Amino acid sequence: MTIRSSFGPAMVTALSSVAALLVAWLLTRADMSSAGGGYDIGHMVLLYSTLPRMATALICGAALALSGALFQQVLRNPLASPTTLGISSGANLALVLAMLYMPGLLGFGRDLVALVGSAVAAGLVFLLGARRGFSPFALVMAGLVISLWCGALAAVLTLLNERYLVSLFIWGSGSLSQQSWVIPLSLLPKVGVIALLAALLVRPLTLIELGEAGATALGLRIGTLRFAAVLLAVALAAFVTSAVGVIGFIGLVAPTIARLSGARRPVEILVWSTLIGASLLFLTDVSVMYLAGAMSDFLPTGAVTAVFGSPLLLLLLPRLKSRHRPAESGVRQAQRRSRPRTIIVVAAAMTLLIAGAALVVGRLPGGDWALLSHDLFSTLGGLRLPRIAAAFLAGVMLAVAGVILQRLTGNEMASPEVLGIGAGATLGVAAGLFVVMEPSVGLQLALASAGALTVLAAIFLITLRSGLAPERVLLGGIALSAMVDAIVGVLGATGDPRAMFLLRWMSGSTYAVEVPTVWVVTLCAVLLLTAALVFHRWLDLLPLGPAAASSLGVSLPTARLTLLAIAGLLSAAGTLCVGPLSFIGLMAPHAAREIGLKGARATTAGAAIIGGGLMVLADWAGRTIVFPYEIPAGLVSALIGAPFLILLIRRRG
Amino acid sequence: MPHMHRRTFMAGLAAGLLQGACPLFAAEAPRIVSLDYGLSSTLLSLGVVPAGIADLADWHIWVVEPEMPPSVVDLGAAMQVNFEVLAALKPDLILTTPYLEQLKPKLETVATVLQLDIYAPDGGDILPKAIAATRKLGAAIGRTAEAEDFIGKAEATFDACSARVNRAGPRPLALVNLLDARHARIYSSPGLYDNVLARIGIPNAWTDKSNYWGFDTIGIEDLSKVRDPEARLIIFEPVPPDALPTLAESPLWNTLPFSRPGGYAILPGALMFGMVNEAVRFAGLVTDYLETVS
Repeated sequence: MTIRSSFGPAMVTALSSVAALLVAWLLTRADMSSAGGGYDIGHMVLLYSTLPRMATALICGAALALSGALFQQVLRNPLASPTTLGISSGANLALVLAMLYMPGLLGFGRDLVALVGSAVAAGLVFLLGARRGFSPFALVMAGLVISLWCGALAAVLTLLNERYLVSLFIWGSGSLSQQSWVIPLSLLPKVGVIALLAALLVRPLTLIELGEAGATALGLRIGTLRFAAVLLAVALAAFVTSAVGVIGFIGLVAPTIARLSGARRPVEILVWSTLIGASLLFLTDVSVMYLAGAMSDFLPTGAVTAVFGSPLLLLLLPRLKSRHRPAESGVRQAQRRSRPRTIIVVAAAMTLLIAGAALVVGRLPGGDWALLSHDLFSTLGGLRLPRIAAAFLAGVMLAVAGVILQRLTGNEMASPEVLGIGAGATLGVAAGLFVVMEPSVGLQLALASAGALTVLAAIFLITLRSGLAPERVLLGGIALSAMVDAIVGVLGATGDPRAMFLLRWMSGSTYAVEVPTVWVVTLCAVLLLTAALVFHRWLDLLPLGPAAASSLGVSLPTARLTLLAIAGLLSAAGTLCVGPLSFIGLMAPHAAREIGLKGARATTAGAAIIGGGLMVLADWAGRTIVFPYEIPAGLVSALIGAPFLILLIRRRG
Repeated sequence: MPHMHRRTFMAGLAAGLLQGACPLFAAEAPRIVSLDYGLSSTLLSLGVVPAGIADLADWHIWVVEPEMPPSVVDLGAAMQVNFEVLAALKPDLILTTPYLEQLKPKLETVATVLQLDIYAPDGGDILPKAIAATRKLGAAIGRTAEAEDFIGKAEATFDACSARVNRAGPRPLALVNLLDARHARIYSSPGLYDNVLARIGIPNAWTDKSNYWGFDTIGIEDLSKVRDPEARLIIFEPVPPDALPTLAESPLWNTLPFSRPGGYAILPGALMFGMVNEAVRFAGLVTDYLETVS
């Protein structure tokens, strides 16, 4: 370590430690001063709750920061971390599943469950990233999509299973509160061993800095190194999650601060990240304790770190080097003979069939399956039609938005769900619930639109500033979604039953859709779809790459801004009906290409029909499977969405 | 089964036709559905079997008693009541609470809606509001006498519990549901549990005020704020499977006065967000407990 490059990180560590100790002193002085002979509960709280909690914060902060630093060094990706790669939320989902369906498993090995969850999440992320040559952008994109998906699923499982209990929530939002030294003392050796193993990787990690060719020439097996470093990083994050829950963004923040303050060589980055992470989480946690004490309220530290950590993603975006690659899928399938008209007609017929079935096939009170009889049509038909229509239109709009975004960015992982529009809408509804107390359905719709449009405006501003690079817009959206997730986590963990309403909304149900809403949405759909078809030439040319497109006479800023606006509005309108996380915008464009459609116009039409059909199917399944209870359509399609994505990638891989 | 449902359904249809303009006072008993556990159990106590209730599937976990008759139809989740079932049941009256405010306009398209305020953001003690809501419900469905009778019986039970508590020697109680090994929900003013404690003469060991539902989420270590050495801790079921074994290893838990043998007890749950029936069940549970420890 050189003295010069260590000065900055040392200062940061010292400052945050001093600040943390100051708050810690404020927090404990009463108990400290009373520490004396005899029985004293304040003394006991200090000894067995406050102090172990501080130790836990230090260890978890160090472990997560080291994990993030390892990821960032070995993947050569400044945005990699347990949060951004979906590792923590994978562990959390595994723990939630185990808690709900196999509680016995947790008794034997919480760590093992968390490790399996983390490994599966990491595996998926790398599988998804592999197709883009592990580009930093693709990895983080895949990671955050998985992360949001796991978070949503965990939340909804909580919702469906634990009516009055919020323990899973607390876990998901990461609380460090302790009643003994068991957790810090069991965590310390695990983290210590891995830290030692990580120390062994320092030399090869230094070599890799020389560039992959040089390192290979010096006899370094890069594949093995990658695997080892990723394994250690995943294990660190999994141990922390299994011990205290999801603590967001420390693994991203600490290495970033280490680098910004001057750490250069891998050994410096690893060491200083670890120290900064420890002091930072310590500072956050004592502050949370101090504040929570003052407000007499329960705040989970993990969600609080995420609320403050996720905006950092936005700030870091300009540092991310993204490689633009033309989409290959269209080219690859050019040889296949296809008759777009026939394909689209068949798809439309199937969608019509699904919609018809969704209207007439259902269940009666008591649960029996039944065809809708004539005498029941007047009551039930009127209830089913608006929902089917809303699901269809939402599917159509999200699918078309997906086509536009994927062609616009040349990234097949792009979709409206990750643009952040849904997150904005959710924030709007949240504001309504917690400020106005009991907003009407109409007010909710208005607030959701306001939230979505605010995000859209913010996206425009960011896009204009960053030279209209679409990748950054998408990552910005994901950062925003992560922040919304964290805020909802804080609300949920406080246990207010209204948080449950918000969760239901986020899981995406057509439940609240009324006839007037359908008309508004229909109008939006017609206008926006027409616009999308009018500009299909841009969609044909943009995937060829910026250079080729502009040489063919496309004004890049105009085209990108226009298409982004259309995609954004389509996403907003779609989200209003089926929530922010349906993944239909991701699935439908792929499905359209899979069945042999090419060219912007055919793909748009095909994706629209498929998206609409899938959404109607998801809505119908959600209404009937656990009758008379309902699974939101957005959740059903999201549950299909992730495996579909993996299947897709395996087929192409 | 299908036959029966069909018959129930046709009966409903006929009832709807017969009752015409004045459904609540028709010859046949009005068909009432309830979207709240407390209101559902109150209906039973007033001698009315509801046509359907929300969240029937979890009734046995959270409410336990009184038992719901098998004829009652499940309307799905309260917050997303299944309108297809609701419409097919053709109720005359839908009972709801401020919690489901946003459903109200849509419910009103199905039947007359009676919203009763018990747990509402503007706060207030729950037990008196529950009793007032019971009277109001009784008047609305033409069962005023039954309502008075039911309230009278409940008051008598409270009085009896109060006397028993007095004999046993009242002790302060802290009332919690364990969320996991590190967190709990503790119940205090203005909640139902707290009101009942006050009614039967048991001090609540947790004196901080809470939200309008009557609970607060705390870390287990916060239980150390309860300084009264006489205080006892009541942990209500359901208890998460790993919570108590983990707590047993905690020195902090083990130094809390509650952790001593007899310092805490695990009791079956009574719905914390309920009405008079749940208050009576809760009063019985804690009074029985106090008699065993004295």
